[in-house]
Amino acid sequence: MNKLNYFTQLKALMRKEVQQILRDKQLLFLLFFMPILQLFIYGFALSPEVDRLRLGVVDHASSTVSRALTAALVVNDVFELKESGGRDAALAALVRDGALDAGLIIPADLERRYRAGLKTNVQVFIDGVDANSAGIAAGYVSQILASFNRNLSSGSQESREIISPQISFAYNPGLISSWFFVPGVIALVLNLVSTLVSSAALVREKDSGTLEQLLMTPVSSKQILLAKIVPLAALLMITVAVALLVSVLVFHVPFRGNLLLFLFVSFLAVLVGISIGIALAAYSENQRQSLLTSFFINLPVIQLSGAIAPMESMPEFFQYLSYLDPLRYYVICVRALLLKGGGFSEIWIEVLSLSVYAFVLLSLSSSRFRKQLK
Amino acid sequence: MTNALLEPEIVRARGLGKSYGALAAVKGIDFEIRQGEIFGLIGPDGAGKTTTFHIMGGVLEKNSGEIAVLGGSPRNMRLSIGYLTQQFSLYLDLSLIENLRYVAGLRDVTGRLFEERAARYLKLMDLDRFPNRLAGQLSGGMKQKLALCCALVGDPKLLLLDEPTTGVDPVSRREFWDLLSRVCSEGVTVAVATPYLDEAERCGRLILMHEGRILEEGSPAGLKERLGMHRLEVRSGKLHEMEKVLIEAQSLQAKSNGAERVLFDVQTFGDRLDVLVPDLEQGRALVRQLSQKAGLSEPLLSEQEPTLENVFVARLKHDLPEEEQKPFPFVAVNRELSETNSPGLGNSAKYGAIEASAVSKRFGNFQAVRSVSLRVEYGEIYGLLGANGAGKTTTIKILCGLIKPSGGSMALCGQVSDLRQESLRQKLGYMSQKFTLYDDLTIRENLEFYCGVYCVPEALRKERIAWVLRSSELTGQEGLLAGKLPGGWKQRLSFGAAVLHQPQVLFLDEPTSGVDPLARREMWKLIRDFSRQGTAILVTTHFLEEAENCNNLGFMVAGELVAEGSPSRIKEEQPGTLYELVCDDLQGAYARLKGQLEDWRTSMFADCLHVVLDDGASELPAVLSALSAEGVKIRSHRQVPFSLEDCFISIVQRAQRAHFDIAAKPQPPQSGGQK
Repeated sequence: MNKLNYFTQLKALMRKEVQQILRDKQLLFLLFFMPILQLFIYGFALSPEVDRLRLGVVDHASSTVSRALTAALVVNDVFELKESGGRDAALAALVRDGALDAGLIIPADLERRYRAGLKTNVQVFIDGVDANSAGIAAGYVSQILASFNRNLSSGSQESREIISPQISFAYNPGLISSWFFVPGVIALVLNLVSTLVSSAALVREKDSGTLEQLLMTPVSSKQILLAKIVPLAALLMITVAVALLVSVLVFHVPFRGNLLLFLFVSFLAVLVGISIGIALAAYSENQRQSLLTSFFINLPVIQLSGAIAPMESMPEFFQYLSYLDPLRYYVICVRALLLKGGGFSEIWIEVLSLSVYAFVLLSLSSSRFRKQLK
Repeated sequence: MTNALLEPEIVRARGLGKSYGALAAVKGIDFEIRQGEIFGLIGPDGAGKTTTFHIMGGVLEKNSGEIAVLGGSPRNMRLSIGYLTQQFSLYLDLSLIENLRYVAGLRDVTGRLFEERAARYLKLMDLDRFPNRLAGQLSGGMKQKLALCCALVGDPKLLLLDEPTTGVDPVSRREFWDLLSRVCSEGVTVAVATPYLDEAERCGRLILMHEGRILEEGSPAGLKERLGMHRLEVRSGKLHEMEKVLIEAQSLQAKSNGAERVLFDVQTFGDRLDVLVPDLEQGRALVRQLSQKAGLSEPLLSEQEPTLENVFVARLKHDLPEEEQKPFPFVAVNRELSETNSPGLGNSAKYGAIEASAVSKRFGNFQAVRSVSLRVEYGEIYGLLGANGAGKTTTIKILCGLIKPSGGSMALCGQVSDLRQESLRQKLGYMSQKFTLYDDLTIRENLEFYCGVYCVPEALRKERIAWVLRSSELTGQEGLLAGKLPGGWKQRLSFGAAVLHQPQVLFLDEPTSGVDPLARREMWKLIRDFSRQGTAILVTTHFLEEAENCNNLGFMVAGELVAEGSPSRIKEEQPGTLYELVCDDLQGAYARLKGQLEDWRTSMFADCLHVVLDDGASELPAVLSALSAEGVKIRSHRQVPFSLEDCFISIVQRAQRAHFDIAAKPQPPQSGGQK
């Protein structure tokens, strides 16, 4: 009887997987064109035009602080001052009629309360017809106000007067919205593609009935799984490269970080995605089922990660919940590497968390998948 | 039936042709189908049967010639045509009645009319007990009956059935054909294509197609008569030697052109040889002479009618060049782990190659397999037979170690524990029902894959892959995707892929489903080659003529092994007698007999009825006089030998009856071997 050779078997299994993948046009589309397509869609089409929003201000305080506040809103060209003065009701009406995109009412006691160290409420109207732009405009307003507050409070301490007025926007000075989106979309696409492709590759064999035949051959379940994961991970790394190229060449995203570090964290994210795919495959009977289930998992994972919507615009509870989302760490890493040029020292916590997630998820899901092969 | 030629024509084809690009599928055929007949199309894979059906059904346009269906073009007559395609055409997530209502709606059959027809056909098909069950939960046979209902609900004048019974078990198949006879007697004309030649026996008229042309046309009896051959069944103690001698003489005769051929064809079965001879006496004499010359003991000869398969094979052999099939490049096997066993039948080693004792399997509340014991030796071909749902596939999966039995013990290749061990699995070959090949890999990639996972040494790979390609007649096609192959070729290639590593134990789950008779014969030759090299083979099939190829048979009913033995022994031990009745009002006689006897004892063929009686001598006169009293004129009656299918059906029916009797009585203490 011929001696069994672990690597001969593994080679045969892997070659079969690669041949199957290369022949599956749908899978290839998912792997290489979907990332490009998604980047273009999010980068160009969906990137909401939230610059030069028409702003009206009724400044009852008319003080230094209130003027500084108005200035903070317009300085980035996010808002453009169209109206000032007039009555509260008139301003509200203008926003309601669509003549203005946003309105700000500053109460008369702002200066006094500020001096007394009390919190002041300013009133903001936003035209909510375009819910997406409105949400983002609201996000900008709260970000700008938050940074304004930080400036004020640090200013009152006298000791650290010289602080850049726009800390939170330092990595995107012109607030180019595509720069905000592109790293997020890389994360989103990678997550979607890796889960879909891996669950499809694993369920396919169950679906078509060949799994039973495969189980009768003298290969171990470990070999079967390994042969499925390795070619996919390699192909998905090409997906990462394609996405990165499109980001840099088309959207001119500055690649400021370390390329190797970027590839490493992307590899971890690919492993996380594959693990989710394996888990989906283990619990599904056919491709349709795994595809539908993937929506239940992928959508919350993407939403919670901060890939699309700014983390700050989430309710507090969900901000805490996002710590459970492995994609969150990848999004932070990608933003840091692409835009900030941060090194390992700045994102080591995220890298570590992502590694732990990748390891735990991969071992859990593969042991679950192997169990059902027995 | 005698005046069938006077009935109006339902289909008339003249010079009908169809090509797909450069490939001519149908090359100018003439035929007509007449009102009220069952018209059969037989022929090997790729003969053009399905294309002909597509044209008659108005699904495809012809390229040349003429076709008239019910006097018009098929496309315009579609509302009067019921068409049952090869694949199940049901919505599996709709219930029986919903499927029926949907199809009826498409044909504008609604309201009272629909209710009436649905009730009638569901009752006819015996499906009226569970109209709300999902179609997906039905057995293969029931699905086909429901599909037939769907085809009938539009009240068609012509019913087209393209291989309606592939994958359906013998019991359901017989029931299906009885239904077709009933439908036909109500004035519907039926055209049917089938790879099962025992089914073709039940057609009124047949055409045999090959490579887009019609080779033969006529009634089953007429075709057999025109063949002008006798079938000689040869039984001998040394079957293998006998076969060698006869095949040698036969191929020698075939080569010397012009010389008189005494032996036309030799076919090997599990415990006999079938020899086709033009002249009975000459044939007998030659067989005796040859066996004497080879020093073999006197063979047992018995004369039988030729079968349709003989016609099929003889007619096509004329057409096909005789090819020498090279044997599989076997390598000597050293059975280290099972030294105690030597190949050959009837040894007394501790364990057979496959050994099961009191194996059972329970899924939840469902007892799929109960206390099955069997033993297959190296070199033996064991056939496991049973209706759909009898537990065959579960038993095979237990025996090859894919699922753990819930009780009992077993051994594989002498190994009793750790049956999932990789080194053990390397000695096993397994061909699952349909899914051995990867559709999205090419033929060569598939074969290389199996060479790789079984670690076939590099030195042997080339030769073995070449062998598989040759044996499945796919040499030169290795770049084709496996998924693009027609069913028959796929099965032959799957078989090749399952034996690439020269397994010591081979499991074949319905290996010949959808394979045409000629290719099936080739495949059995290969299976026999392996068994002679000492491979133990366990095979399931729905095709009982083919079960004759096995050395031993086991019949399963409701998860239990109810009968075991060689094909000849099973037939000998079959209680009762089988009679063939020829009478004028076949339908009427059939209906009366069904009322008089148990359902399974009667079945209808094209020109006769088959009746099984337990005690023929005393029962037959009563049956005959009862029929005469009802006005049925009986022309002739004679005793005919049981076919394996007859045995199968009566074994299954008797066992089921016994089973229900037991179930009705208080249960004896269970001894299922549950742990």
